[in-house]
Amino acid sequence: MNDRPRKITLDQWDDRHAELRAAGLNEPSYGGPLGRHAAQGDVRLRKLSFDNSPAALRLWNFLLSEEDRLRDCKARGKKLVGAMKDLGTVPVMVYSLPNLAAFYPDGAWWLPCMKENRTDLLKIADSLGIDDSFCPVRAMLGAFVNQKHFPLPGLLTCSVGATCDDFSAIAQRVESLGFPILWWEIPHRRRPDGDEPVVELPGGFTAPETQVAFVRAELERIRRALADYAGEPLTDELLSAGIERANQVRSILGKLRELAYCANPCPMPALEMLIAEMLAIHFCSDHNETVAVLAELRDEVVRRVRAGIGVLADDAVRVFWVNPVADLRVMNLLEDAGGRVCGTEYLFCHALDPIPADLPPMEALARMALADPMVGSPRDRTGRIVADIRRFGAEALVVSRIPGASHCAWEAAAIGEAVRAQLDIPMIDIEVPSLADAMRPTLRTRLEALLETARTRRR
Amino acid sequence: MICAGVDAGSRTAKVVLFDSDSLGVAAAGVVDQGIDQDAVADALFVRLIRENGIDPSQVGPVVGTGYGRKLIRFAQKTITEITCQAAGIRHSVPEARTIIDIGGQDSKYLRLNGNGSVADFAMNDRCAAGTGRFLELLAAQLGVRLDRLGEIAALSRNPAIISSMCAVFAETEIVGLLASGITTADIAAGVLASIATRVAAMSGRNLDGPIVLTGGVALVPGMEAALESILGQPVAVAPRPQITCALGAAILAWKSLNGSPTPTA
Repeated sequence: MNDRPRKITLDQWDDRHAELRAAGLNEPSYGGPLGRHAAQGDVRLRKLSFDNSPAALRLWNFLLSEEDRLRDCKARGKKLVGAMKDLGTVPVMVYSLPNLAAFYPDGAWWLPCMKENRTDLLKIADSLGIDDSFCPVRAMLGAFVNQKHFPLPGLLTCSVGATCDDFSAIAQRVESLGFPILWWEIPHRRRPDGDEPVVELPGGFTAPETQVAFVRAELERIRRALADYAGEPLTDELLSAGIERANQVRSILGKLRELAYCANPCPMPALEMLIAEMLAIHFCSDHNETVAVLAELRDEVVRRVRAGIGVLADDAVRVFWVNPVADLRVMNLLEDAGGRVCGTEYLFCHALDPIPADLPPMEALARMALADPMVGSPRDRTGRIVADIRRFGAEALVVSRIPGASHCAWEAAAIGEAVRAQLDIPMIDIEVPSLADAMRPTLRTRLEALLETARTRRR
Repeated sequence: MICAGVDAGSRTAKVVLFDSDSLGVAAAGVVDQGIDQDAVADALFVRLIRENGIDPSQVGPVVGTGYGRKLIRFAQKTITEITCQAAGIRHSVPEARTIIDIGGQDSKYLRLNGNGSVADFAMNDRCAAGTGRFLELLAAQLGVRLDRLGEIAALSRNPAIISSMCAVFAETEIVGLLASGITTADIAAGVLASIATRVAAMSGRNLDGPIVLTGGVALVPGMEAALESILGQPVAVAPRPQITCALGAAILAWKSLNGSPTPTA
């Protein structure tokens, strides 16, 4: 069996899976050949290329089995919480209570891609007045209506305020259809005035103490609702333990990112890293398994780095990537064109930072929520991006816009301007719809031109 | 030795044969693009060799570029139009620091380093505004030949404002402007200004000079003046602007022959 790291197709994975099974591969309950997910409707998988490690296989199976696992979870008597828009705060609270499980209905935004639009999700959204001028997360509306993708949760929460306008509109439409939502407000993070008490936030940001207090009060409402729903109090002790477990995930991801983005040759493809990073915000409906999946992936990366082996050419151009892509295939395209991802800001970098463990838990969570890059100014977000580009040594920048997403409409220009001024590295901004096949030649040209420009600078 | 560059653009295919001894263009040609881009480019390539009496055995490496570069089977290497355009302009206008390239399907802005390499670039290729296709559509709407658009625009005293960034809506606007008695000259001037505005927005402000305009739309008289007006800086049209990208591809083919690394992605 060829265990050299490489990228393989779905068919190749199924062959490899059979070989690994014959060689004694031990899989979790959700394991199996990846091809079965394509047969069940995730047809986009047939056009992707994947890392060939058993750790990557587990990661993909974990992601793609979420709907089934959620149903099992509910059948076993666990109570489900849908945590909408919130990128990494409420799930930490939910998983502090043993009888609750959180999931992320917004994750439906990848369904049009994974199913190559062979689903009625967007048609349903269209029929409800949420048309394609909205972000692809409108697929979530269709998923609530057709109830084919996730079981209905007993409690739905959604952050609102300094979040995407389009998402708020979609969530309001969800509520209008009879799915009650517990809203909590996150204010736009502002710089403290000169005479205001200042609070340090994770990620190096600051906020006025009054804003932190406000968010803490909002999260206290969520805490009470979760306790009522679970039928047991959500104590500080439980929360502190939940934060510790969340930090375990973040710590593994931190190590994984450091290795995957800094080592040469690149030890793990961008697509698997994107999926891995996403686990930080919602734990893919199973916190404990998230830890196991990420730890195995980290161990594989450590093994490859120690052996000096990887999946891409040594001279791949180091690219920092901003915003997640609606079409997963574009991450493959970057690597096919000769690039590699070295650093990311997928709109939730705050969920990768450790939650302060030396503070009362609700204070720590409030500070973490306010460190969300989307609730601050583009200047703050850009500052972090510039710092991370330096840290990871990226040679070029891609800002990938999400069609219809209000926060993506204008930030690319601001980020590009600051990066050019402070780092003078080449950048492009691209728009990636859920299915970018028709745009593939133009996307490829832009990416190749970016990589050529970065290569020329090496000389 | 002859080195070749093939620019498979969206509207036309261009071939440049570069003489590595004289470091000049031995032959160049432009033909309309077709469905089979490889066949169109190959026919032009063969015709240029034959018509210019070039011994086929003297033809060396071929680099493909442009939108259809991956389809050019006789090219040994492909390089994007960004890098090729910079190499072509470096050869023909060495002092250039900014390139504005308006082609049939897209427009580009390139900022060059002192050594002529690309420092940064931006492209508009998701809508027709700011492209040659936009000009074609609107010239047709006005009933004006494309090569006379600039001449007619020069007669304008009060350029019309074309506010739509969408080619289809801009056509509708023109119908309305014509119906309200606005002169063809004023509308033509408005069309050129609209493209210039779009390109300037993509390029940003404070462009480093000299600024060179290239691509097929550079052949439209008045386009550089419209850009100068918007950018507030002189804009020079590149010599033989339709072929600068193919020229750059040919030069990069020659450099690869010399062992110079080419930035193939």
